[in-house]
Amino acid sequence: MTGTCGKGPAGKWYNAPMTPARWFTFLALLAALAASAAPVSAGDPAQDQPAAAVTDSLGRRVVIPPRVRRIISLEPEITRIIVALGGGDRLVGLDFFLRYHDHLFPLLYPAGAGLPVVSNQGQDPNYELVLKLRPDVLFSSPSEFPSTETMQLKLRTPVAALASLGNFGRLLDEIETVGRLIGRVDRARELAEYFRNRIGSVRRALRDVPAGTGPRVYLAFWGSLLRTPVSYEPVDAAGGTNCAAGLLPSYLGAAGATVPVEQILRWDPEVILVQGNYLPAERTVTLQSILRDPRLASLKAVRAGRVHYTFGFWYWWDPALVLVETLYLARLLHPREFPAFDFEKEGNEIFRKFYGIDGAFTALAKILNCHEWVRN
Amino acid sequence: MSGSATKVRGWMVWAAFLLPVVLLLLSLNVGTYHIPLRDVWTTISRGISPAAGAAPSPYADILFRIRLPRLLLALFAGAALSVSGASLQSLFRNPLVFEFSLGISYGAAFGAALSLVFLGKGFPPQLAAFVLAVLAVLLVLVIAGKSASQIVPVLLSGVIVSALFQALLSLVEFFANPYALQSLIFWLMGSLANAVWGDLAVTLPIIVLGIAILILLRWRLNVLSLGEEEARALGVNVKWEKVLVIAVATLTTAAVTSVTGVINWIGLIVPHLVRMMVGPDNRKVIPLSAAFGASLLIVADDIARSAASFEIPIGILTSVVGIPFFIVLLRRSGKAWL
Amino acid sequence: MNIRVENLEFSYDDFRLEIGSLVFAGARVTSIVGPNGAGKSTFLKCAASVLAVPRRSLFVDGKDLTALRGRERAALVGYVPQEPSFTFNYTVLDFVLTGRAAFIPAFSSPAGTDVRLAEDALHYVGLPGRGRRPFLELSSGERRLVLIARALAQGPEVLLLDEPTSFLDPRHEVETMTLCRRLAEDKKKTVVVTLHNLEMAVRYSDAMVFMKGGKVVAAGAPGDILSESLLRDVYDLDMKIVECAGQKFFVK
Repeated sequence: MTGTCGKGPAGKWYNAPMTPARWFTFLALLAALAASAAPVSAGDPAQDQPAAAVTDSLGRRVVIPPRVRRIISLEPEITRIIVALGGGDRLVGLDFFLRYHDHLFPLLYPAGAGLPVVSNQGQDPNYELVLKLRPDVLFSSPSEFPSTETMQLKLRTPVAALASLGNFGRLLDEIETVGRLIGRVDRARELAEYFRNRIGSVRRALRDVPAGTGPRVYLAFWGSLLRTPVSYEPVDAAGGTNCAAGLLPSYLGAAGATVPVEQILRWDPEVILVQGNYLPAERTVTLQSILRDPRLASLKAVRAGRVHYTFGFWYWWDPALVLVETLYLARLLHPREFPAFDFEKEGNEIFRKFYGIDGAFTALAKILNCHEWVRN
Repeated sequence: MSGSATKVRGWMVWAAFLLPVVLLLLSLNVGTYHIPLRDVWTTISRGISPAAGAAPSPYADILFRIRLPRLLLALFAGAALSVSGASLQSLFRNPLVFEFSLGISYGAAFGAALSLVFLGKGFPPQLAAFVLAVLAVLLVLVIAGKSASQIVPVLLSGVIVSALFQALLSLVEFFANPYALQSLIFWLMGSLANAVWGDLAVTLPIIVLGIAILILLRWRLNVLSLGEEEARALGVNVKWEKVLVIAVATLTTAAVTSVTGVINWIGLIVPHLVRMMVGPDNRKVIPLSAAFGASLLIVADDIARSAASFEIPIGILTSVVGIPFFIVLLRRSGKAWL
Repeated sequence: MNIRVENLEFSYDDFRLEIGSLVFAGARVTSIVGPNGAGKSTFLKCAASVLAVPRRSLFVDGKDLTALRGRERAALVGYVPQEPSFTFNYTVLDFVLTGRAAFIPAFSSPAGTDVRLAEDALHYVGLPGRGRRPFLELSSGERRLVLIARALAQGPEVLLLDEPTSFLDPRHEVETMTLCRRLAEDKKKTVVVTLHNLEMAVRYSDAMVFMKGGKVVAAGAPGDILSESLLRDVYDLDMKIVECAGQKFFVK
């Protein structure tokens, strides 16, 4: 293009020599460009990202806007991840479980007590409140009522159903997905790496143990002797074999099955794990009740006294807690491969890594009275 | 019926009563844990005359601690629910009445909910279920008030009280923390899985006594089914006898429900099945309902606990097993229903 | 065994039954007649203890009915309702057997004697061998006879029959009333029937009671009290009494 702008000896404008005036103009233009391009938000080390398309746990493709500043999460597992990634300040609404019933969450995010409660047990969320809170995205639970589609129909906000559904791989994917959505990619990667490494080291320690020879474990979850999850990955990762594996079709994932008592006898587990994530006074199934149950007297686990508590699921997992649990189970199931170590210290460290809080595990252990369990 | 009701011969009655016993013995061999027949026999004979120093063997535990109590519960619960249903149908002269018509099922459910959610260990769900079930029926009679001698007011009160306790149950569920709610939902599903000797030692005597009393009252139910006026004209103390029948049916059903939760359909289907086969005379209907109800529940429970490695809810099975029978018999007996 | 009524009062809603003094002679057939709503059925129900009456207002053979226990009362008074209640289609014999209820303890079943009494009663009313048939298979006339048989199986001295001839064809009407006469004459029962059919009443009764508006208007042998003015008072209708072939007929 020929013209009158600074023709230099080669006749092209970009070959013109840079005079101070031109330098000044150039720098001023650059500054103006930089100013307009800088993100408006404060303290956000994140990049400006385009709208993200996410495939949620129900296989739905959800388009989420680039700046996710206001989040409501009805799936406790996701809320925990958001807090771990440092996005707690973006939560504008909380679900009823984490606010009123979870023993752990108030320790991890005390500010949550000030958030409005948007959902209630077995009911539709408070849509009016949701609209009033103007979230940029709503994370729903794929396994709870009401259905995500119903919610999406009632809200213009994108609704994404995310949960690990009892699978470590999906848990890690979620951490990275949420990290991407809230602009905490580095932090997400850091936590995912940490989790993978620790689980990896457990698996490595077990590499000499042939597959399928780990102790057979029966899990008595959800406050009943007879209800058991057909898949519980911490047990698998810790080198145990879940007796109930394969009981239900695999597409049902980590569903719970009810079994007749004699099925437990048929399996004859070597270890029994009872879900202990209850206040001690509210436990309907206790170690004592199992050890003293005359129907179970002939079980290997009962005769050897290998009946223990473990944490279990409540609305899936807390990433830090499930890591602690896996380490605890590894020690329980394979004492030879895993030397004794200070669980409380280890637990606190993992929680500090995830949540930046000291002594969280100690506090939880006190509430659940788990000092018994974690005695080596 | 047009005279097509089977004439009941002596041997048929014996066969009917032997059926649940035979089924119970056969069912000792049914379960996901396979015990070879020979070992079943040895274990039983050793159980009757135990050998010295016998180690706790899984066979003995399975047969005597798991299967036997559960089968006994199935037998007596099936009999109790059928007999209660049949008695109330005669008393209220209404074929749609069944043992839970007076509010027992929701009363018991609400009691269990109170216990599991609020009252805790001190007041176990079985006890709370029993107490609230009986209270529900008392409430029905109080609401019916002066008209408690008439059928429609009592049944209507039953509907109202059921609705009341259902609402209260929902309220408890609303306020329950998720931990307790899990236990409650499990309890409400109705199952014979909780048959342990400790509970049975308390409830079975009540259940057996209730069944026995209702069987003794079987001819009396013919008279009471004529209605208030005619029965009174015949010289019967209708008020007392009605109270007796309601009380016994209630206590028996409440005792069953406290251990098993709510198992539907039996009290409705079995008496009708029996009437279709032998006619409405309660001298036959009541005892045969006991026998067939017991058999039905044993068979349904066998399937529930052994068809798959997981437990199938028994409510589904009682309908799946009972309803086809019902339809077949209905078609054969023509139009007469009662 | 006679029935004596002494200041019987019973009321419900707007209706009031008041009978000052009345005697039904033993071993006789007495018919109660009157317009609809006169209180005939109500009175019968009172006498049957279906409705509660004050003490010392009803006496059978000198005994206060209200003071008697069920069994004693059943031995004295039997009631045959106009419509049988039925929800369940019992056999005829089972139906008649329920008449023995007062004499069988609550926790027992009928014994051989009870069954025999029931069969005898069926025989007496003219339905032998129908015992095994379901009740609903019978014609309405036969059903009435079964109801009477039930009362007979109970074995009372007094039989109260509420409209036993309603909805029956003439032949069955006559059969029923003849049965009533036999009961009075052969078995010496005190039979009280309520009737709409005046001809039947006059022909088969030893005594008649005219009721209107809850009160007794006249009582006595038909020959003594029957008159056209009485009929006009009771029925609010002009009727002529006509004699033909030795019977009285009432022409409206």
